[in-house]
Amino acid sequence: MAEQNDDILVLDKLGKTFRVGFWGKKVQAVRDVSLTLKRGESLGYLGPNGSGKTTSIKCILSLIQPTSGEIRLFGADPSDAAARARVGYLPEAPYFYDYLKPTEVLDYVGKLYGLDAATRKKRIPMLLDRLGLGHAMDRELRGFSKGMLQRVGIAQSLLSDPDLLIYDEPLSGLDPIGRKEVRELMAELRSEGKSLFFSSHVLTDIETLCDAVCILDRGAVVAQGRLADLLRMDKLESEALIELPADNADAAKALLTGLPGVEVREQVGAVLRLRLPTDVVPGLTAAVVEARATLRELSQRRESLEELFVQKAVHMSSDGQRATTPGGPA
Amino acid sequence: MNLTTTQEKLTLRIDGLAPALARITAVAGNTLREAGRNKLFFGLLGVTILMLVFSVLLSDLALADQKVRLVTDFGLAVIPLVCIGTAVLLGAVLLYKEIDRKTLYAILPKPIRRSEFLLGKFLGLSLLLLGQLAALAACWAGVLYLRGGAFSLALVQALALSYVEILLVTSAALFFSALSRPVLSGVLTMGVFMIGRITYVINDLMQATKGVFAEVPAMRVLGRVLVALVPDLSTFNIADELQAGVAIPPAYFLHATLYGLSWVGFFVVLSLLVFERRDLV
Ligand SMILES: Nc1ncnc2c1ncn2[C@@H]1O[C@H](COP(=O)(O)OP(=O)(O)OP(=O)(O)O)[C@@H](O)[C@H]1O
Ligand SMILES: [Mg+2]
Repeated sequence: MAEQNDDILVLDKLGKTFRVGFWGKKVQAVRDVSLTLKRGESLGYLGPNGSGKTTSIKCILSLIQPTSGEIRLFGADPSDAAARARVGYLPEAPYFYDYLKPTEVLDYVGKLYGLDAATRKKRIPMLLDRLGLGHAMDRELRGFSKGMLQRVGIAQSLLSDPDLLIYDEPLSGLDPIGRKEVRELMAELRSEGKSLFFSSHVLTDIETLCDAVCILDRGAVVAQGRLADLLRMDKLESEALIELPADNADAAKALLTGLPGVEVREQVGAVLRLRLPTDVVPGLTAAVVEARATLRELSQRRESLEELFVQKAVHMSSDGQRATTPGGPA
Repeated sequence: MNLTTTQEKLTLRIDGLAPALARITAVAGNTLREAGRNKLFFGLLGVTILMLVFSVLLSDLALADQKVRLVTDFGLAVIPLVCIGTAVLLGAVLLYKEIDRKTLYAILPKPIRRSEFLLGKFLGLSLLLLGQLAALAACWAGVLYLRGGAFSLALVQALALSYVEILLVTSAALFFSALSRPVLSGVLTMGVFMIGRITYVINDLMQATKGVFAEVPAMRVLGRVLVALVPDLSTFNIADELQAGVAIPPAYFLHATLYGLSWVGFFVVLSLLVFERRDLV
């Protein structure tokens, strides 16, 4: 495996089209997704339900074949077992042989990685214990709760001490304490120098966990970049709450909204909520004085990822296809 | 606590034949283990053992010199059938279950080749069927002993050829299971088995001067295609020779075994080709 650089995962115009039904109707699940994950980086893969996250991840692990584009995993094709050996993967809503105990599942997985018996014996109880499954180590998975299965999934993903972790919805199915624990665990893994690639709807969770995000909608990338950059863009926006003078409302409004980049977000009676680029703020304050309006509130906006996500991804459910709001079902 | 024990780098053994064999064995072990919890499997095993015991009672009705023969014939007919039934039932869901229950998603991304996984599944099922055959044969031997018969080398040969037939059906099941869903793959496997058992009849009918296979051109073509595409399973059936007291020449035994294993190889290779690039969704 030649790795010339630190790009451990590269998607180049990845596309996947499924054919469904008798007539082979095309469903474009992923379109032209390009991204690069560098060693030690953590990338959040976001998107509402059905946006193609799981499909892309399955392509990365060679579970399905892309219909177009290319994937390089540690510089190799994902069908290369040696490249996959360096990945720890947590499937979406993981499921394991329910007649096995967690220790047995991990033992099986350990054998697939070619770990010797002594190493397996040492690492398996340690990992299960670390994931809070110490008490359930010798119970069959049958009857394990979703969250417990998720923990087994995380434990098995760490068994081989992989360089890259690919987690599909790592926080789903967990209770609030579980989410906090897993988030802390992922932060810890990140600080240990592991690279992370994980999908989520839970944006507030992701915000603290990743360096960069890639936001998908209907299979295509709608926003991508370092989190700091994406948010900085929005940091430069301000919001103003202005009360218009009763005698001169229309003229005042025209004056204010005539400023460059000003957008009316809301109007309740004589009160306007405006959104504007931060560098227009001096112009706005001058215009407020001129129009004899009252500036009630002025704030610098630092848009949360959640809003960015809603704004970018849910480009209007006008076609009625999207019943759920992203970030809603977690 | 450090999660990943970075103090000492773990050694993963992935490249080479030995690790590959270890992975195949791991998959086979798990397949065996899963089947070992299958109620259907044990139900079938139990019922067959009961039937073998029952054949003793039944043989009481037979004439004195026919008693042993009845038990022999019964075992020779029923034991392979039960094993083949098991092969069809378990083979049909062999891969489907793993996909349907999503257990495959956790396994295949590991550094295991799809071919290794498939071979492991096949090996596991083959070993299970060997165990089943051995268990039934042991009961059968016991019953024969009770009836004053002996378990001859010829019977061992007959069972060995049965096992080749069972493997053949299992490999067909593997192929259809890699290709399609359980019901269809079960039906197709049954089809191969049933047609395979009667291809020699079709062959004879085509040789005859009368009858549909001889006279209707379309049926002649169909007959040819069936005979060419479906293994002739009568090769593995030496019950007639056993009854006639004719010893099976080693050359025949060898020929039949090679014939069967070639078909097994054919089906396994086809399965690998199909499974290698299949989307697992
Ligand atoms: N096997 C398949 N056959 C046909 N269409 C599929 C298949 N798998 C996924 N799709 C379609 O591809 C699209 C993307 O699905 P995918 O599961 O990748 O979304 P996702 O982003 O993971 O969603 P979620 O957040 O709900 O997990 C959806 O429209 C889905 O219906
Ligand atoms: Mg998904």
